Amino acid sequence: MSKENEISELYNKLTQELRRGILVLVALSQLKEEKYGYALISSLAEKGLDIEQGTLYPLLRRLESQGLLKSEWNVEGSRPRRYYVISPEGSRTLENLAGEWRSLTNVMEKLLDGISSEGEQNESD
Amino acid sequence: MSLIDRYIQDVGRRLPRKNRADIKAELRSSMVDTLEDRFGPEPSESEVEDFLREFGQPREVAAAYFPEGQYLIGPSLYPLFRMIAWIVVAAVLGAQMLAWGVAIFIAGESFSVLEMLGSLLNSIPVSLGWLVLTFIILQRFDVQPDLEDKPWDPQSLPKIDDEEDLKRWELIVGLVGGILFLVLVVFFPQWIGFVTTPGGKFYPNPVIIQYLGWIKVSLLAGIGLNIYLLWQGRRSAISRFVKIAANLFSIFVLALLVQGHNAWLAAWGAGGFFDSLEVISSIAGGEWEVVGMQAYRLAFVVALIVTVIETLVMFYRLVRGKIQTRTIAGLPPVSA
Repeated sequence: MSKENEISELYNKLTQELRRGILVLVALSQLKEEKYGYALISSLAEKGLDIEQGTLYPLLRRLESQGLLKSEWNVEGSRPRRYYVISPEGSRTLENLAGEWRSLTNVMEKLLDGISSEGEQNESD
Repeated sequence: MSLIDRYIQDVGRRLPRKNRADIKAELRSSMVDTLEDRFGPEPSESEVEDFLREFGQPREVAAAYFPEGQYLIGPSLYPLFRMIAWIVVAAVLGAQMLAWGVAIFIAGESFSVLEMLGSLLNSIPVSLGWLVLTFIILQRFDVQPDLEDKPWDPQSLPKIDDEEDLKRWELIVGLVGGILFLVLVVFFPQWIGFVTTPGGKFYPNPVIIQYLGWIKVSLLAGIGLNIYLLWQGRRSAISRFVKIAANLFSIFVLALLVQGHNAWLAAWGAGGFFDSLEVISSIAGGEWEVVGMQAYRLAFVVALIVTVIETLVMFYRLVRGKIQTRTIAGLPPVSA
């Protein structure tokens, strides 16, 4: 494997890690109204965030087992679907996590001040 | 949809029974939703294949739902398993040595290195096998150890292990002792023996004379290693390997000596400790050789046990040191 490929693979891994860290916040923030898995994935994709199905469904299960989400089967549509919605505990956690996220982004903005991102780099090229 | 069903079945068989049906139903519903959205109500076989490839291998998908299912013994049980495994190995070794001691000294049975190794090769894997099996069952039933999180005191940290730095005087004492013994063995082997009664006849030890060649090689190896360590001034992985190899050779030679004494004593009808007492008491005033040879055998057995334990400890340290070295490779030393 060439050095360039190694760097690119490492970059992909780091990006995945970074995104994985925000998935709980993403899921909780989008489940104030009940949604089934694929509907959640579609609405996130529309907003510009692609999440793999194999990642999201286990996460929803985990959040439910931790008491942050509630779910139930709905058999009224064309096929049975499991709908998820945030629980009262999940709402409180979401508020705390959102506060944490905002303070983190503030700090990160300061830390990354002067570091150009890939997009900006391309534009300047 | 038969491919989808086969896929879901394959994921399902890797999931815990408790949630299996529910997860399979949700997966199916979500996958059909996605396929319909992308390719319409009747996706072609190749479209389904592409979609499944993108979804990921069944093994990986199941692992995302049930990460602990990927382990025979999971991370939460492993520290407990490792601790018990060491206790089991130590207990089996201890019990085995006790059994050999009783067999050789009390029952006067003959001693065979191959038999010893054979029984160790049997008893240790069997004991560890049962332990692993027990932990696999605990893992399957998701039993979590209730380890109390005690407050931690930094002062309880072990002192810096300075065994890497050799103590020169220990090496010099070892070297001088080794050379003196080698001189004795090479030039005056007839002096190695015992005196029966005060002022009585001197008996050279026939077993030592029989295995003189092996003893010389073993002593030379020890002397060579001590000289090398004095020259290097520091232990290294290679010198530890060499030391372990030298110890294994010593174990072999000591085992030969114990075996030789056993044979000699058995020929005198005094293989076991109590047999010796009988021989001594029945031949009043005579047969002090039996006592002398018993004393030599006891000394060699003690030396054998000590060398075996020392070798095991060295081997453990070598393996542990290698793991630690790998973990902290590249880090600068910290002096705080």
